[in-house]
Amino acid sequence: MKVLAAGVVPLLLVLHWKQGAGNPLPITPVNATCATRHPCPSNLMNQIRNQLGQLNSSANSLFILYYTAQGEPFPNNLDKLCGPNVTDFPPFHANGTEKARLVELYRIIAYLGASLGNITRDQKVLNPYAHGLHSRLSATADVLRGLLSNVLCRLCSKHHVGHVDVTYGPDTSGKDVFQKKKLGCQLLGKYKQVIAVLAQAF
Amino acid sequence: MDDYHVTADDIFWKISRATVSRDQYTVINRTSSSVTFLNIPLINVLLTCNIRMFGQINRSVYGIRIISGLPPEKPENLSCIVNEEKKMMCQWDLGRETHLETNYTLKSEWATEKFEDCKAKRDTPTSCTVNYPPVYFVNIEVWVEAENALGKVASDHINFDPIDKVKFNPPHILSVNNSKELSSILKLTWSDSRFRSFITLKYDIQYRTKDASTWNQVPPEDTSSTRSSFTVQDLKPFTEYVFRIRCMKEDGKGFWSDWSEEASGITYEDRPSKAPSFWYKIEPSHAHGTRSVQLKWKTLPPFEANGKILDYEVTLTRWKSRLQNYTVQDTKLTVNLTNDRYVATLTARNTVGRSDASVLTIPAWDFQATHPVTDLKAFPKDNVLWVEWTAPSEPVNRYILEWCVLSDKSPCIPDWQQEDGTVHRTYLRGNLVESKCYLITVTPVYADGPGSPEHIKAYLKQAAPSKGPTVRTKKVGKNEAVLEWDQLPVDVQNGFIRNYTIFYRTVIGNETAVNVDSSHTEYTLSSLTSDTLYMVRMAAYTDEGGKDGPEFTFTTPKFAQGEIEAIVVPVCLAFLLTTLLGVLFCFNKRDLIKKHIWPNVPDPSKSHIAQWSPHTPPRHFNSKDQMYPDGNFTDVSVVEIEANDKKPFPEDLKSLDLFKKEKVNTEGHSSGIGGSSCMSSSRPSISSSDENESAQNTSSTVQYSTVVHSGYRHQVPSVQVFSRSESTQPLLDSEERPEDLQLVDNVDGSDGILPRQRYFKQNCSQHETSPDISHFERSQQVSSVNEEDFVRLKQQQISDHISQPYGSGKMKMFQEVPAVDAFGPGIEGQVERFETVGMEAVVDEGMPKSYLPQTVRRGGYMPQ
Repeated sequence: MKVLAAGVVPLLLVLHWKQGAGNPLPITPVNATCATRHPCPSNLMNQIRNQLGQLNSSANSLFILYYTAQGEPFPNNLDKLCGPNVTDFPPFHANGTEKARLVELYRIIAYLGASLGNITRDQKVLNPYAHGLHSRLSATADVLRGLLSNVLCRLCSKHHVGHVDVTYGPDTSGKDVFQKKKLGCQLLGKYKQVIAVLAQAF
Repeated sequence: MDDYHVTADDIFWKISRATVSRDQYTVINRTSSSVTFLNIPLINVLLTCNIRMFGQINRSVYGIRIISGLPPEKPENLSCIVNEEKKMMCQWDLGRETHLETNYTLKSEWATEKFEDCKAKRDTPTSCTVNYPPVYFVNIEVWVEAENALGKVASDHINFDPIDKVKFNPPHILSVNNSKELSSILKLTWSDSRFRSFITLKYDIQYRTKDASTWNQVPPEDTSSTRSSFTVQDLKPFTEYVFRIRCMKEDGKGFWSDWSEEASGITYEDRPSKAPSFWYKIEPSHAHGTRSVQLKWKTLPPFEANGKILDYEVTLTRWKSRLQNYTVQDTKLTVNLTNDRYVATLTARNTVGRSDASVLTIPAWDFQATHPVTDLKAFPKDNVLWVEWTAPSEPVNRYILEWCVLSDKSPCIPDWQQEDGTVHRTYLRGNLVESKCYLITVTPVYADGPGSPEHIKAYLKQAAPSKGPTVRTKKVGKNEAVLEWDQLPVDVQNGFIRNYTIFYRTVIGNETAVNVDSSHTEYTLSSLTSDTLYMVRMAAYTDEGGKDGPEFTFTTPKFAQGEIEAIVVPVCLAFLLTTLLGVLFCFNKRDLIKKHIWPNVPDPSKSHIAQWSPHTPPRHFNSKDQMYPDGNFTDVSVVEIEANDKKPFPEDLKSLDLFKKEKVNTEGHSSGIGGSSCMSSSRPSISSSDENESAQNTSSTVQYSTVVHSGYRHQVPSVQVFSRSESTQPLLDSEERPEDLQLVDNVDGSDGILPRQRYFKQNCSQHETSPDISHFERSQQVSSVNEEDFVRLKQQQISDHISQPYGSGKMKMFQEVPAVDAFGPGIEGQVERFETVGMEAVVDEGMPKSYLPQTVRRGGYMPQ
């Protein structure tokens, strides 16, 4: 799983990033093939809600943990440095249909997952001894991954959506340390904000 | 094959150096052969192909190693658990042994992706822990694949949400707080899993008092939702409680967490919930009109004190008028009271308040206690000593139970407890020990004072006596023994002595046991063998066993008590009687005995001439009618001497001589030398035989004898006077020459037979054998003509013996003669008989009479 989180996901994110940064992946046509490895559980939506609740319950503490771990000036300049000013963040419309909401959720989770992967990678370099932050970032990424699986299973099994175009955030690999920390803090701030909305929407 | 010039028929197979049966061979062609094994007994064997060449030489052509085994069975009972903050672990059952190297792989996947396989370690092939963190709320499908050289098989797939397999970490109790407002509650606060923020948990809370071992359960419905605190109610004031808690998913899926670490808290104080137990004891007081009363009470147990007792307040009321208050921190108070009735009250106080008052009536000194409890029983049960009783008919306020250890070494120090008036069965709440005898007293307490106490003894647990009774004999008889023993001291009894057993045996005999009731202290062993050593010991038994005492030995006597006396006494009596009879006999025969052993020796110096009364009637010798005038004829011996017997019979002659002397002596009027003339004149009645005897006596050794038989100068003596001559004149020659004594033949020729020479012989010489009868026997030999007379004589003599037991001695007769003249005819008769039997001894009246004081037979007589 760590291999997936640390290697495959960033690679996919990078690939997505290069191929269509800012452009959502197209939804699989209705008649497209949609198959899962085994049948999806019946309580899938309940699981999605629980996952959102799980993420929501830990989002704030993750955000605090992150900016605390970054040190000054982040804790005292949250509004400036950690404001949810994330460009190209996938939109979400809570009043949409379940399918639309699930598609938008899928895009958000994919975006967050890719960004969280980047942040995790950067933090292991920038704060190699912040093991608590690392594990929390990894755990959050794992939950996002599970949520993504559930949403896809739901879309596939019920709405026959086998593929959704997704967008990803900017690549931070070329940025300086502060920018990496700032982008990560802004993303976690956005994440805390969005996940609360999502948990409320489902 | 061609090189060896063999065919397929020459091929044979070996497995582990053993030739395989040809039944299992199959010849494929001229150069090929196959072998078939239906069952390989070994899992690793060597199979070789061999040929038999010319000359019976065997050669291995080829060999292979056969490894046999089984394909894996389908793993069963696959299950998984997710410990919080740890990775998922699954386990399964392998099935049968494959005997081959078999790999077990745990496979897992989501609906959209597959996870890395988890390969079970060789040493733990039944479980595997995945190496990725669990992701909750995403169903995962898990199965196990078993694979070896013979095949591959997969278990059933299980699909679950890891959140339903989770075992949370136990909650952590943060605090246990009490409330001043409510002394019966404690609030428990804890922190638990981070899951509590997004899933619903339920809790299991348990509590107990500090010293208790069992837990109380908070109702599950009160803790079926996520929470971080809980208030436990209905607790006891001022009591320390211990709590623990665990959690799991509210829907029951998953596993209970482990119990949290225990945490304790103490409820707040409350006023004492019960009045203390209150009792008193009147101590001896020297002051007149007052009593020293020790009031005592029990400290309240914590569950009744409800806090720390600060002090006790005692009030004493006499006749409802005077009130005395005491504040005591101890549990006893000694006061001097008058002989009046008092009412005492007691309350206990803690920081919150006071208890109810305990009231005790101390009756006046002349109060008579009545109405005791009945049917008092005490018995051990469940390691405590229970006391049970029947309540009196009167209403009882409460009961006081007192008990103490009965001991011979230490005094009875009572402990006590109080029970409500409704109780009639309780156990003693003290530190009772086993094998001790407790004296239990139950006293009912009425409104006006205590009732009569009742006592009973009991043991918490009995044991065998630590020492056996020491038996000893109280009395040992020939066939029985009375054993006795002392009651065992209460300190060594260790229980109620139910019975004793007496074991007794002889050295070689079997042991016999006798059971004896415990109330006895002695026992009689019967049917014992006399003169036997017995070993006896004694065992005392309680309900729990017995203990032997020391062995005691005793020996039964050979004779029973009094048996020896019963034998000895009669023997002694018989001996004594015999001796007495002998003495009496000897006394009666003393004269004869005396003659034999100590004859009378007349003292010549004291002799004098007897003076006879002139009126003494003459005596006639020839009148046959006067032979036995009164039958008084005694002590006569007759000796026959055959006429043709030319033997001199010296002994008989001596006897005759002795007889004559004795006769003279016993007649009392035999005369000595000097008195011979007087004698003959004064005693005309003396027979010729006497005269003859006198003739003989003249030659005897009697030296002196004087009889005065006539009155002097015509004076008539009133009694016969005997006088012993004091003369020292020497004996006559005839007396000194007994050979001069001539026996005269009987001239009576009418007998027609040879005349017998007869003479009298003093009978004393015959007394040793047949004192009288022999006389008659010999008398019968005297003459047949006078046989009739002899019969009469014999009869007469017998009658004399009967009528005169003392008359056997002539001397005695003569002593009596002077007093009674009637004896005179008897003497005459005797003389006449002598004449009748024809005594032919030569009588010389002129010869002085003399006699031998001692028989010749005795010999060695030396005249004085």
